[in-house]
Amino acid sequence: MTTRYMERLAKIEEVLLIANKKIDVNELRAGCSYGVPESLRPLAWRLLLNYLPLERQLWQTFLAEQRHNYDQLIEQIIVEPGTASLEQSQAHSSDNDHPLSDHPTSDWQAFFQDNKVLSQIDKDVRRLYPEIQFFQLLSKFPHPHGRKYPLSRRVINHQELQSQEFGANRDGIVGCVKTTKAKSSQDENEVPNSEFHWHIVERILFIYAKLNPGVQYVQGMNELVAPIYYVFANDSDDEWAAYAEADTFFCFQQLMSEVKDNFIKKLDDSICGIESTMAAFHNLIGSFDPELHKHLTVGLEIKPQFYAFRWLSLLLSQEYPLPDVICLWDALFSDSMRFDLLQYVCLAMMVLQREVLLKGDFPCCVRLLQNYPVSDVAKIVAFAQDIREGKAPKPNAKEDSKGSKIARHARQLSDTLRNLKLIKK
Amino acid sequence: MARRPYDMLFKLLLIGDSGVGKTCILYRFSDDAFNTTFISTIGIDFKIKTIELKGKKIKLQIWDTAGQERFHTITTSYYRGAMGIMLVYDITNAKSFDNIAKWLRNIDEHASEDVVKMILGNKCDMSDRRVISRERGEKIAQDHGIRFLETSAKMNVHIDAAFYDLAESILSKMPEASDEPSRETVVPGQARQNTSGGCC
Repeated sequence: MTTRYMERLAKIEEVLLIANKKIDVNELRAGCSYGVPESLRPLAWRLLLNYLPLERQLWQTFLAEQRHNYDQLIEQIIVEPGTASLEQSQAHSSDNDHPLSDHPTSDWQAFFQDNKVLSQIDKDVRRLYPEIQFFQLLSKFPHPHGRKYPLSRRVINHQELQSQEFGANRDGIVGCVKTTKAKSSQDENEVPNSEFHWHIVERILFIYAKLNPGVQYVQGMNELVAPIYYVFANDSDDEWAAYAEADTFFCFQQLMSEVKDNFIKKLDDSICGIESTMAAFHNLIGSFDPELHKHLTVGLEIKPQFYAFRWLSLLLSQEYPLPDVICLWDALFSDSMRFDLLQYVCLAMMVLQREVLLKGDFPCCVRLLQNYPVSDVAKIVAFAQDIREGKAPKPNAKEDSKGSKIARHARQLSDTLRNLKLIKK
Repeated sequence: MARRPYDMLFKLLLIGDSGVGKTCILYRFSDDAFNTTFISTIGIDFKIKTIELKGKKIKLQIWDTAGQERFHTITTSYYRGAMGIMLVYDITNAKSFDNIAKWLRNIDEHASEDVVKMILGNKCDMSDRRVISRERGEKIAQDHGIRFLETSAKMNVHIDAAFYDLAESILSKMPEASDEPSRETVVPGQARQNTSGGCC
């Protein structure tokens, strides 16, 4: 019954035991690959994402240093122009900086440039996981410096600057036709000196965009950072939860270092870009389930861009409710070839729906793949691992669908998993 | 002969800057509901709705695209098969209006020549935050010889009108190949709305 679960819990706990000076990462991966218990997840993810060093005695100094670094980043990056300290402005240049300056090093220039990125981030973080309340709640740990300069307000102020209409006649005389003062009604419910969780996610993404000008911010990155932040901020231990922001930033950076190629348009056609990832995925379907592959690609002309683009680039974060995404990521993060496993998870999702897909026409299949039905993610992960290890039988086209081996295998799997009853609450 | 569930299939595409309300417009049309908190569209999404026009059942296959520049390589591949394109801007966001020229260039480059275009100025319920007057929207549409409507997905203003209008102009471009004379059929309740009709 739940003994398997208890065994796994015991195993993970054993790996993370304080007595262990160095954590055995392979043991940890093995223990976490079918799901991590909620209480251990924040620590496990910090380790699995290669953020925390494996030597336990390094943690204290390492964390203090990283968190201090993050605070400094915020202080350097999030500044209001015109408020630079005397020494900074003297080092800057002799001419005065002002909003209309076109000097390339002008703070104001950078400010307006930043606001473009920021307004995109702002739109997306406001609509993070609307089905749960969490991101719209006040954080217990607003950032002492960051909260003084709310980024979201900057975006709104920026919009106000734009809200004048000018008309020009042929002589080039320009007059103000209409002035509309845009109301910043969106943030009326803001409480001074406090922050909502989405404010914090916004700041993380903004700092990342500033530090990585080659990637900046691409829509969807919000979906990658949100689950990590959610896990860290909900740590039952306040000592850790208080640093959810800084630690999320670094873990997100680690994760991005592995998946950022998907977000870079210039790499789309290269070997490491998303196009080739999608092509590899369709080949994988072809080799495991030729009938399904043929039906989708030749029969219906469904391109991987229609659904797999989102699945692969966002690590399935938009396909399932947050608790399921988190369970799925336990498995992905535990895998030493984590994004190889992702391909197999996606394949498992296809194969588990193959009966419907094979019967479906174009709209039916696209709709199904773009709105994947609520499923037991643990089952999908287990099936994916079986396929990868060659344990799952290939679907046989000739066999009757009712008695097909694959369906039997899936049934067996779900029976075993019912007994396992994973950490999902 | 077995009766098909529809007579014609029209493929439509929604494009425009991110956050202008493309998904909300589509959701209002397909499900008659409104939701302010849609997650951002990544890549491409799609919905189907069957409408009746001039006695014909027309299945609309509507593709909703991501607005951000990064996704253009992914989304422009759908331009080719589209029969109608709705270009959406947000009347409270000047940038989204300025970018119309850019979107029109995209259409010229990637869509088929006879694609029917339409410009929608969305969020027309937010009059206190409006920065683009209706006249400016009408003007740019006129300059390019495109239909124009101001819409509000929230208040359900001109949403159906926009889709029916677009479908109707696609239909009128089709070679008349029907076996039943549909010219005399008058469908009640479908009096055409004035394209530049006032709203808000």
